[in-house]
Amino acid sequence: MSRHALELDPDHEFSRDSASCSSSIPPQPHRPNRLPMAAPLYTTASGLLFHAGKILVVTVGLPARGKTHVSRALERYLRWLGVKTQVISLGDYRRKTVGGAQQLPSDYFTLGEKTATTQALRQKVSEGCEQLIWKFFEDGGQVVIYDANNGTRQRRQNLAEKFDKAGIHVVILESVCDNKEIIEANIRSVKISSPDYRGWDPEKAVADYYGRIQDHERYYEPVEETTWPFIRIINVGEKIMVNNIQGYLQSRIIFFLMNIHNKYRTIYFARSGQSLVEHSYKADSDLSPAGWEYAERLKEFVMERRAKNLAERGLNPKERKLVIWTSARRRAHHTAWPFLTQTSVSTPSQSPLSPPPNVKVIEKPQMSEINPGVWDGLSPDQARKLYPDEWARFVKDPYAFRAPRAESYHDLCVRLEPVLVELEREQEDLLIIGHASVIRCLLAYLVGLPASEIPAIEIARGDLLEVRPASYGVQSRAFHFWDGPGRRRRGKSAEAEEMAPGEVDAKNFYENYAEDTRGKRKFKGVVIAEGQ
Amino acid sequence: MEQSNGPPQNGRAQPFFSAGGPLLKRFDETNASTRKGSEASTPPRSVVGIGNKVAKPDYSEAKIVLAMVGLPARGKSFLSNKLMRYLKWLEYNVKVFNVGQLRRTRAKQKAEQSVGVKEDHTATYFSHGNEQATKLRDSLAEDSLEMLIQWLKDGGNVGIHDATNSTKSRRAKIEQRVSCEKGFVVIFLESVCDDPAVIAANVALKVSYGDPDYKDMSREEAKQDFLNRIKQYEVVYETISEPQLSYLRIINVGNQVTVCRIHGYLQSRIAFYLMNLHIKPRSIFFSRHGESQYNVAGKIGGDSSLSLRGLQYAKALPALITDNIGDAPLTVWTSTLQRTIQTAQELPYNKLTWKSLDELDAGVCDGMTYDEIEATYPEDFANRDEDKFNYRYRGGESYRDVVVRLEPVIMELERQENILIIGHQAILRCLYAYFHDLPQADLPYVKIPLHTVIKLTPKAYGCDEERYTLPIDAVDTHRPKPKVMQQPGLPASVSNRKYYNT
Repeated sequence: MSRHALELDPDHEFSRDSASCSSSIPPQPHRPNRLPMAAPLYTTASGLLFHAGKILVVTVGLPARGKTHVSRALERYLRWLGVKTQVISLGDYRRKTVGGAQQLPSDYFTLGEKTATTQALRQKVSEGCEQLIWKFFEDGGQVVIYDANNGTRQRRQNLAEKFDKAGIHVVILESVCDNKEIIEANIRSVKISSPDYRGWDPEKAVADYYGRIQDHERYYEPVEETTWPFIRIINVGEKIMVNNIQGYLQSRIIFFLMNIHNKYRTIYFARSGQSLVEHSYKADSDLSPAGWEYAERLKEFVMERRAKNLAERGLNPKERKLVIWTSARRRAHHTAWPFLTQTSVSTPSQSPLSPPPNVKVIEKPQMSEINPGVWDGLSPDQARKLYPDEWARFVKDPYAFRAPRAESYHDLCVRLEPVLVELEREQEDLLIIGHASVIRCLLAYLVGLPASEIPAIEIARGDLLEVRPASYGVQSRAFHFWDGPGRRRRGKSAEAEEMAPGEVDAKNFYENYAEDTRGKRKFKGVVIAEGQ
Repeated sequence: MEQSNGPPQNGRAQPFFSAGGPLLKRFDETNASTRKGSEASTPPRSVVGIGNKVAKPDYSEAKIVLAMVGLPARGKSFLSNKLMRYLKWLEYNVKVFNVGQLRRTRAKQKAEQSVGVKEDHTATYFSHGNEQATKLRDSLAEDSLEMLIQWLKDGGNVGIHDATNSTKSRRAKIEQRVSCEKGFVVIFLESVCDDPAVIAANVALKVSYGDPDYKDMSREEAKQDFLNRIKQYEVVYETISEPQLSYLRIINVGNQVTVCRIHGYLQSRIAFYLMNLHIKPRSIFFSRHGESQYNVAGKIGGDSSLSLRGLQYAKALPALITDNIGDAPLTVWTSTLQRTIQTAQELPYNKLTWKSLDELDAGVCDGMTYDEIEATYPEDFANRDEDKFNYRYRGGESYRDVVVRLEPVIMELERQENILIIGHQAILRCLYAYFHDLPQADLPYVKIPLHTVIKLTPKAYGCDEERYTLPIDAVDTHRPKPKVMQQPGLPASVSNRKYYNT
């Protein structure tokens, strides 16, 4: 969750994710105020969900069991719901205050008898962390996820009692993993890139880390006590057990946790093809000839990219499904149409009428583009002229403003919430053929961008975005595969379009409402590669 | 949902591509040649006109056996009915297989065949010591499971096995049987209740709602016998502790939930739903907005203000609600459209506006009268009448789309206590259908007149309904289904438990 999460961390010096996440977020200015995430279900004066109270989620589990993955995912989701949430990580805090593994006394990670200095050091680290938790609650935070091992019953009891006395609901979140592959993958992908092992030989680091875990295992007491409500997640969401959980936010948390997983998959985003009328919501017009061409090209390119990605992981594309989500708008689901037809060359035996067995297209009515209301079909100039007051308010706050009969971005985010949960749960590769406005919201959720940024995110028609969820956020790459009408103005080359500053109006959020959205800031993946 | 901010302003311009003007038709005609489609052999249907019918999403992969576990009078049937209503509203094919009813049906058949012989179904029948009866009951449960599995194979999605399934061995048998079917999953739903008041109420309900088992007994006798029956079950009852089962345990509905080994999309939806239920007494009030200027003009959609009569209704509404509810707390939900906000303006309660409660979007037909639509697009118009639930207006929504968008509202409604929704015709039809378990085909024809408050009080097996009509005239906006269409009539009492074959 790299930079965004960093900003919210008390101090961003020590976050260890920079190496593991090939970051995809455009550099953002450091904002003095924390902005709320998208889609608060309620807005209250205090900024808290009024009936939920304050919650401390205490993670429990051996190292490399996916605690951080679960914590970060939950943080991202709760923030999206508008809940002030913060992960406080003991490991990060220790690295910041004491230093990496090399600076630690040798008995720091071995449990059992310790020297007095080590004891004091450990004590200092955990007290410091607890102070951060108190501070966040005092500053108006609602949910803290305390990401630490908390491996002994005594420690959990002490911690829970302390916060319970202050009227904070304590929920124990145990992460258990009996799948050796998940543990190994976790160590290799996350742990050894931690600052603790900077400059180490990878194999040596892995061996050292296993040693660290072994010591923990000897002293680990699984959550058996039923004193506190607990959630046990087995193999990062494969199974889930819940005990004594009550309350609204808690049930939402469980629903969310029931739907996450950390299996390898890729989410692809692409815009729908150009339609005959780009500025009308109501016309629900079909693809233009260029749109149909785009659809064919998109299919070829996605298939090619996907085959490459799967081959890199040693996976057989035939054994995996590709799920495609589109809205119920014609131009969107017609863009998916070529995927449902067999390429006659590869499988001549099959009837061209039967769709390929491993592709599934699902239409989701919640994924329609943002509704422009009375501005439907108007050009920016017309809208400005006809609705001067609304226009002024809109320019001031493009995220929250709702034109007459229209949806605001906030409305759209609320509408998309069920889609997000389904997005989390989908295990197959997913291609989302979406509208500009919908892709903005979904990307903001995945990447963890604040609400105010949503109207400015852009992916151009002709770019394919690959997003791969990882422990600390997402990795993303963008590929450019198509040029043609609907991507840029007629008669302009790519360079001309991007170079001419007079033509690019970064504040032109009116284009939010249209599919023809040239001129805004582009969402850039790390690699912008040209498609062959 | 958010706190209401200032009312939005009225639209001032007729949108482009409205079905009212000639532009849409001309657009469709001039683009006929460019709508070539892909090179695929079956290009998708081209787009013309003002809407089309949309098929139901494919749910054929969902095959779930939901086996209830729990002592008698612990609210198993309550939960299974509730869940059935919710899932059916979302268009899953759900059926409850009640072993008790199968037993009664069989006994009745037997009694008819050999006149005079009546099987003993008093508490002794349920005694664990009664070997013959135990065997009989086992085979009944198995038969009922077989019927359920067959039904799932024939296209069902969720079969609810409503029986006590109170022992580990019984549950093991169910699990084993279901695992033989490819793609089928079984989840157990245990309902535990240790609140004596709730149990007593359940027992009273069972005895007083004409359980056929107690037809020839006095209330007191019946109650005694039923309590004895519960005792017989308690002797052998084993709460779920098998580590390998997927199960949900609900303690005192809404108090505590245990979720174990639940995975899968529909399963997690079911769990989330059950976590949000409660059984505190409360009422839900529905009212449409007061008569609007568009109602008077016969136009659909729009964002018009109230008519004078509509404003009168808004004035009279607070007294009606406060008379009814006294000083109990209540929250008012409105849509973001002016007519509902205006209707709610005099109400002395906390108000929230929901975008999801906005009226069904009639797309290109927004702002037209039905006569205009019929005159401009006669064929399309007939098309809608044929299958109103599935008809999606071009650039707008179908009733199904509205149901999908209202799902989070239903979830929130289940969690809340007294709520008054000031809504719109199509929206209230969808919500009403959820509470009364109406089939999708009837849903678009539910009568929700203007200037009428509908009060729903959830009961164990449905909702009691009262309607209060204020004596303020309003136009009738209901369009009955053409040709022979029966109004979806409700039985006299809809909240009673329904015993089949009685």
